[in-house]
Amino acid sequence: MFATSTQRHFWMFKDETDVSNARLSANIKYISSRGRHMTVAERETHFLNVVEEKSLIMSYEYQLRDFCRKFHPPMPRYVIGTALHYLKRFYVNNSVMDYPPKEILVTCVYLACKVEEFNVSMDQFVGNLKGDREKAATIILNNELLLMQQLDYQLTVHNPFRPLEGLMIDMKTRFPTFSDPERLRPGIDEFLEQVFYTDAILIYSPSQISLAAIIHSASTSKENVDEYITKILFSEDQKRLLNLIEAVKKIRVMVRNVQLPHRDTIKALEKKLALCCNPDNNSESPAFKKRMKQSFEEEESFEDGQYPSASSDQVRNMLMGLSEMGKI
Amino acid sequence: MDDYQTCPKCKTTKYRNPAMVLMVNTCGHALCESCVELLFAKGSGACPECKCPLRRNNFRVQLFEDPAVDKEVDIRKRILKEFNKRQEDFPTLREYNDYLEEVETIIFNLVFDIDPTNTNKMIDNYKKENKDITQKNRNRQSQEEMELEELLEAEKAQQSEKANLYVNAELEEKKQKHKAREKLIDELMFSDADAKSIVASHVQATAALAKEQPKAAAQPGVVKSSKFSSGVQIGLRGQHTNSFLPIPKQEDLPLYRYTAPVFDYDGPPPPPIEKLGKLNYFANIRAANITERAGGYTEAMSCCRALQEALGGLFYSPQLMHKTAVLATNSSTQDTDDMETT
Repeated sequence: MFATSTQRHFWMFKDETDVSNARLSANIKYISSRGRHMTVAERETHFLNVVEEKSLIMSYEYQLRDFCRKFHPPMPRYVIGTALHYLKRFYVNNSVMDYPPKEILVTCVYLACKVEEFNVSMDQFVGNLKGDREKAATIILNNELLLMQQLDYQLTVHNPFRPLEGLMIDMKTRFPTFSDPERLRPGIDEFLEQVFYTDAILIYSPSQISLAAIIHSASTSKENVDEYITKILFSEDQKRLLNLIEAVKKIRVMVRNVQLPHRDTIKALEKKLALCCNPDNNSESPAFKKRMKQSFEEEESFEDGQYPSASSDQVRNMLMGLSEMGKI
Repeated sequence: MDDYQTCPKCKTTKYRNPAMVLMVNTCGHALCESCVELLFAKGSGACPECKCPLRRNNFRVQLFEDPAVDKEVDIRKRILKEFNKRQEDFPTLREYNDYLEEVETIIFNLVFDIDPTNTNKMIDNYKKENKDITQKNRNRQSQEEMELEELLEAEKAQQSEKANLYVNAELEEKKQKHKAREKLIDELMFSDADAKSIVASHVQATAALAKEQPKAAAQPGVVKSSKFSSGVQIGLRGQHTNSFLPIPKQEDLPLYRYTAPVFDYDGPPPPPIEKLGKLNYFANIRAANITERAGGYTEAMSCCRALQEALGGLFYSPQLMHKTAVLATNSSTQDTDDMETT
């Protein structure tokens, strides 16, 4: 459960500034390593700053949701939730310029399908993608290990959907004066969709988020569930009630402030990204292709029994080569 | 199964005659029986492949498919007759392993004809140095072999006795039945009593006999005495006793005490799974259909899980992640114009 999970121990931040600090440090690290020869002003125009990165991530989160919505077979919402979690966590510690978000996006979905036991074979999966399927499959397999590594191999994600069901059952049983909580469902679903675009999932526990969803939906339909919360849930711990009210308020504020960035801004940002991104990780660039070719040639010499000492990049290349062969 | 090996000399004959047997000799090459006879009929004694001089009696029936293996097995037997030390003869494990390695090196050299002069010298040296130990070991081995033989014999004797017992018991039964039948017929013929009553009494008698039989069969067979009357054991078995030391008793450790696991939900406590039915939670949950219940699933399980997840974590308050704290302080030393105010 959540209280003992790695999510609580390693992937929870204090508040929004905490999260932005993490993103900031990733951004700075990338810029300083790539833009050593530039002046400060040049860097600012050439590289993306944190705010721009954040907008890009948000647009990619929308894209992820669209992809999952059109997915065949129909994807349950907890898989989408897990994939969004992974995407968020990945880009908290890494810069958007370092790893192309498009590739990471599909890898997140693929990994989430595996972890949440929603069985999709690679062929079925890339069947949902447009464009070169073989290439997509290679990209996904190459990035899978990288993604897991950046997630610190902590893959269990607690989404707010099961706590939501639990709260519904509890309300129906212990709070019968509130008639038919099911009519709150559409509002709840919308709220939960929006909450995944905020950083709330990295700050608050999933049960708090689902409670916020219920409260929000209730208030939009001019109902009041405060009695349920004060009398039944928190009958013994009145002081923690304040903590919860605070948390719920903040979550609702975050959701209210969600704003999908404008399409033109996104296009401009993507252009800028194409210029400043890391060519080693971008499968389109010629440098990458040259490296892949080199790694294949190196692999031939392995047969002689001479194993060169591998750096982490070379190891990744080896894995790429192997995954080529292992790909179904 | 047809042996796929060919005699290197006559080649054809092997395929046609599956009963043919390959003989192998000290140089490691194989020859079928007829070719061996042929070779020694001519009087010459050389292997057709490697031209080593051979003797007729050096040819042994091949046990393994690969003649090289046979050669090695032969050499190994020969060498191990000389090098028969055991682990008890060495003070440390290391020395024993070194000795074993030496033995293997010698065997390897002999099998592949590496450096024969040196190897033979090594063997002779060893023989000279260790003559008496070798002799003692040989005696010990022969003793052990004798003991094993005795054990085997005792087992065999037991088994044959049991078999005899069974056979005898069966014979006895048959005889008895036969006698009883004859008696019945005699009585019917010669006595004056009523026929039915004779038959009835006869049936009773056979029933009584049948009860006695199993009791007799339960008697144990003759036990061969293993001890002299004074208590000394017969045979060599007494020297290497198979008695074991008693198992050392465990000190009295504290008994295991069950402590129920404590869950910290970080939220209001959910109702325990046993009470869910009473509290009428199941009215609001989909009932388990018959196939699910057959597998052991009950609605209580999913209800309990949902409630635990719903109520767990409600008291959670956000905490600073130490990773970011470290990074945030680092970033202040770098580009300051990018810094957001905390």
